[in-house]
Amino acid sequence: MKMPPTLRGRLTLWYSLVLAALLLIYAGILFAFQYVVLTHQLLHDEVQDIITVEGLLYFDSKGMLQLRQDYFSRPQSHLLIDRLMEVRDLNGDVLYRSQTLHGMALGGPNRPNEGDSSFGERIVRLADGSHAFLVSHLHTLGGRTLLIRLGYSIVPLRDRMLQFLLLLLVAVPIALAFAAFAGQAIARRALKPLDRMGTRAENITASNLGDRLDIDGPEELSHLALSFNHLLDRLEQAFVQLRRFTSDAAHELRTPLAALRTIGEVALEKNESPTAYRDALGNILEETTRLNETIDSLLMLARAEAVTPDNQRTTFFVSELVDEVLSLFSILMEERNITALKEDEAAGRVAIFTDRGLLRIAVVNVLHNAIKFSPTGSSLHIQYFRSASPSGALCISIQDEGPGIAAGEHERIFERFFTSTSRATVAASGAGLGLSVAKLVINRLGGNIWFDPEFYSGAKCVIELPIFGKA
Amino acid sequence: MPERTKILIIEDDGKMSRALVSGLESAGYEVITASTGEEGFYLAHSQHPDLLLLDLTLPHRNGLEVLQQIRKDGLDMRVLILTSHNTVEDRVEGLRTGADDYLGKPFSFSELLARIDALLRRFLPPAPENRAIVIADLTIDVKGRTAARSGQFLELTPREFDLLLYLAENRGRTVSREMLTRDVWRENARYTPIDNVIDVQIARLRRKIDDPFPVKLLQTVRGIGFSLREPAL
Repeated sequence: MKMPPTLRGRLTLWYSLVLAALLLIYAGILFAFQYVVLTHQLLHDEVQDIITVEGLLYFDSKGMLQLRQDYFSRPQSHLLIDRLMEVRDLNGDVLYRSQTLHGMALGGPNRPNEGDSSFGERIVRLADGSHAFLVSHLHTLGGRTLLIRLGYSIVPLRDRMLQFLLLLLVAVPIALAFAAFAGQAIARRALKPLDRMGTRAENITASNLGDRLDIDGPEELSHLALSFNHLLDRLEQAFVQLRRFTSDAAHELRTPLAALRTIGEVALEKNESPTAYRDALGNILEETTRLNETIDSLLMLARAEAVTPDNQRTTFFVSELVDEVLSLFSILMEERNITALKEDEAAGRVAIFTDRGLLRIAVVNVLHNAIKFSPTGSSLHIQYFRSASPSGALCISIQDEGPGIAAGEHERIFERFFTSTSRATVAASGAGLGLSVAKLVINRLGGNIWFDPEFYSGAKCVIELPIFGKA
Repeated sequence: MPERTKILIIEDDGKMSRALVSGLESAGYEVITASTGEEGFYLAHSQHPDLLLLDLTLPHRNGLEVLQQIRKDGLDMRVLILTSHNTVEDRVEGLRTGADDYLGKPFSFSELLARIDALLRRFLPPAPENRAIVIADLTIDVKGRTAARSGQFLELTPREFDLLLYLAENRGRTVSREMLTRDVWRENARYTPIDNVIDVQIARLRRKIDDPFPVKLLQTVRGIGFSLREPAL
């Protein structure tokens, strides 16, 4: 059977099927019970009747067995009308047969010990095809032992049971139809909030991303709505971020473009020497390099956001990676007489399992930043320690003696295109993407990166990394 | 006069195409251009260029399809893809389709020249290992990893020697910072900001190889990079 496509339909179908099964079982039990009760009642009546009849039998003057009829004043008494009775002697010769039998035998030949110790209730078939429920009893009258068989037709009982069955057959489908209809209505009512949610969700687009689904309704549905609303929150946040990022990026790209244009126009306006033209062209090329770097970083950010670097993980020592990056920048440090002071290096000699390439990008950016802001002759403190958290993540702190971070900028420094308002750092500021890239990458690796806000004599950047990579 | 090396450019941007023609012609190549895939494919068949500079985003017919067809037809030419689609996946796909090299836009022209040279040189036997490179009075012993100027031994760090060797191998040509980042520092140029490292390293190399001598060999070409050459008299 094909399932209905709607949840409503399915609920109704299942509900009706279960109900039908229950009703059928119920009707069956009821039917059987009714049958047993009626049969029992009939047996009881017959036993009563046989005792009554025993008192009414007598032999007349010709030695014929008779039944005293005057006991019942009303000839229409159902006992007279319906009762089937036959009296035999032990040889099987019929001594009396009620008129209701119309000459037919009530049951077959005598059975051994019939009616002696029990009533031997049974159903027998009469010659006209009808059935009778009969009991047998032995009775002594006038020195002769008589076998009395007394029964009633079970046709009325069968008719009654048939009627009852018909009633059930009619009532069950009607009840089922009602139940299905009610079930459908209840399901529709219960699922109505879903329809509302659906309609609402369809109407949410980029322009009204602030809209939310209704959360009133039964708990399951309101929970669902709440989950969707959280999803919308995140989407909206991402969308707002993207929109701001796009406009920031456009702005950032426009600045060097403006420089390009001005340099080009000024050079062409003036009738200059070849050397001056060369200079202008060189200047333009330098700007294009910067533009290109900005675009590369933007692409890097976009790409790192889209993929999870799961397949490129290897095991390596963090301190070795940091040393490698330090040696890359060693010439810059030498030039400006900056010393790298490493503390607790042993703690950094921990094998961690993560994407080395990505981590390296982050470390390069953070160290480059620290060196950029370090004054000549200062020191760079690099320290390793395990975080206090139960996971025991590995922390690398990189601390410079530069101008530090202005109060309130410790978070914003990771924002894209952030360049500090503080005068001390303006001269050295770059495109403003390095730390964003670092943060994004570290987060991708399941770690954290922050600047210690308690630290004032320079900037202290802490990178926290889970040892076994992102779980 | 021996036949000049012929380069076919398939590029739909006219400005880019004209700039490439001008640059490559002054570098001594014969250049033909096409602005659509069909035209380029026809020229590749009829003109038998030695090298194809292929843009991937072309009108009507995608550059990769052109490349596929060229490889299927068994045309013998080097193919260098120039494109702004510059992810690792694009690169892998390009190379798998049969390109010999892949250069992301925007590139420095000197790098393009270097790549073209390298591609065309692939046919030639490799240079002997124990060769010496001589530029004016500068001698570089490649195998011994030493350099001398005017017979005077130059004391260089390994990195300084690598840098000098790279510049010398590309002598007469300007090398960009991107090329140095990738080929000398062996860093991924796109994500590693080491321009100031390069500048400091160049300044130090210059102090050793040029400062004590009257003739300066290491030139800074503003906006492009650096070049090691004998100055024109």
